[in-house]
Amino acid sequence: MKILIIEDEQELAQDMVKYLTNEQYLCECASDFKGAMEKIHGYDYDCILLDLMLPGGDGLTILEELKRQNKQDGVIIISAKNAIEDKVKGLKLGADDYLAKPFHLSELAARVESLIRRKQFDSNNVIIQNELSIDFNAKAVSVHDQALSLTKKEYDLLLFFIGNKNRVLSKGALAEHLSGDFADMFDSHDFVYAHVKNLKRKLKEKDYGDYIKTIYGTGYKWEQ
Amino acid sequence: MTRLLNKPLKAFALYALVILTISIPIYVLVIDYIWTSELDENNWLTLEHTKQRLQSKQFTQAEIESINHIWGELQPGVSIVKATTKVVFQDSVYEAIRPNEFDLDDGEDRFRGLKSLIEINGEPYVLTIETNVEESDETFAAVAAITFVFFIILIIGFILLNRKIAAKTWQPFYQTLSSLKSFELSIDKSIQLPESDIQEFQELNQSLQQLITNSVSTFQQQKSFTENASHELQTPIALLKSKMDLLIQQKSISPAISEILNSIEAPLSRLSRINKNLMVLAKVENHQYSDKEQIDIKEYLESAVTLFEDYLDEKQLKLSNSLEQSIIVNANSFLIETLIHNLLSNAIRHTLKGGQITVSYQDQTLQIINSGKESLDKSKLFERFSTASKDKVSSGLGLAIIQEITNKYNWQVVYHFENGNHLFSVSFA
Repeated sequence: MKILIIEDEQELAQDMVKYLTNEQYLCECASDFKGAMEKIHGYDYDCILLDLMLPGGDGLTILEELKRQNKQDGVIIISAKNAIEDKVKGLKLGADDYLAKPFHLSELAARVESLIRRKQFDSNNVIIQNELSIDFNAKAVSVHDQALSLTKKEYDLLLFFIGNKNRVLSKGALAEHLSGDFADMFDSHDFVYAHVKNLKRKLKEKDYGDYIKTIYGTGYKWEQ
Repeated sequence: MTRLLNKPLKAFALYALVILTISIPIYVLVIDYIWTSELDENNWLTLEHTKQRLQSKQFTQAEIESINHIWGELQPGVSIVKATTKVVFQDSVYEAIRPNEFDLDDGEDRFRGLKSLIEINGEPYVLTIETNVEESDETFAAVAAITFVFFIILIIGFILLNRKIAAKTWQPFYQTLSSLKSFELSIDKSIQLPESDIQEFQELNQSLQQLITNSVSTFQQQKSFTENASHELQTPIALLKSKMDLLIQQKSISPAISEILNSIEAPLSRLSRINKNLMVLAKVENHQYSDKEQIDIKEYLESAVTLFEDYLDEKQLKLSNSLEQSIIVNANSFLIETLIHNLLSNAIRHTLKGGQITVSYQDQTLQIINSGKESLDKSKLFERFSTASKDKVSSGLGLAIIQEITNKYNWQVVYHFENGNHLFSVSFA
């Protein structure tokens, strides 16, 4: 899978590359409008992370160009502008997702994973994780072919873990994933424990491997 | 408070009163002087005429007595009597006050007399001529009355002139005043002041224009400073967040370091929240978020409750929502979402464990009530950063944003503390 990161803040781009790069993903960077245009003309990507404020031009123009060329690359807008108009405009122009800065890299990884998955499997959107199978269209999870009943939040958590395999996830990142942008309005994120505990218990009941590890002081990790 | 133009009017009226009052005795003295000197002259003429005739006719003593008698009968105050002494004296003028037989109603009258020594047939006679003069107190009364009438006319004139001057000359001043009254720094970009041909007003307007232009530009700078500052802070905050995410991936983190890393998360997310809120405030102030649509507050509230479910459960808070009908407002969806989230998260944060939150709607007013211990400081509550000091998560801007949003739509947000409950009500009327 190839990911293009169009971001003028090189330090941030490098962080994204570090976090996203693994056996599956290969990341490339473009730090200005011209460089980005050259890349999208020359290559196809599975996912493009697009910053809207670029030296030399507007990120939305790149999006328009992609659509004009009828490219199938998935696009996630990552913008510091945090302007609702930009979000609406970007999604109207055909972006697949929008992520406002600052974000957790784990959130970005989960979004990228989810986008690539959606692009890849149009009809039969099921992933198999050892004995676990997730049917995204039906939002149904089963272990050893036995249905696993999860609450919406547990389901979201499971997907978040799957999208961030072998990564340590902080409690704050998990809370932000579950309650959106508003997690930072509250001082305590203890509810995350409860959801993770329930998810672990339900998986264990179905005899699924104990992949979710608690990392002392920081959070959790799906180890595989 | 007196109006500007009434001040000189009072002074002018007072001055006119003083001057006119002083003028009364002066007039009286002058008139009296003219009167008496004119009468004295008249008496003298009559006397000289009479003297000449008497001396030229060679009257006998008996004839003179009879003349005195007849003349005295015909014209009062006139007499010609034989001088008792031989003493020669000059013509003398005298004044007498006595009752007038023809004018009894008037009491005593004033007479101006002239006495002269005349020699007829070698015999000295005293010739007296008297004329009635107006008494000075009567003159005084008449002058005073006339002066008073003129004073009244003067005052009426002053008032009318004053009004006319106020209406015409001061018009630009009052226009400037009303322009200033309706001027709002946060809304208006410039001010239009009327042209005036009066130098002082023109200078005043120019100075005001200058002052306001400076204020507006300072205000704009301050606003754009907030927006620019929070914008500039976004990148470092984003970097901090991503570095933190990378840092916790490290394999060899000791529990001690891990503890520290964990404690960085809360201030970092507070920093991020403050920055987000500053940006929202700056944008609302800069009249962004101008898109409007029909929004159902009830719907937004219900989805916020779902969103905050975990936090409600965590603190074992009971939330009762008595909204039944849709509450439709025409506003920006992001701002309404922000308003609801801030109100609700505020209530959740400040309710003690096991407390109660009530949401209700009545008379176009949304009420969010939560149990609490003591009243908050009403005067500072909605100010920026006024409550942030103790609270570890508060951005100190939540209520300021609520106020800014309600101001934008001319709504009202009010805080009360009643029977151990904090009560925030937003009136959409």
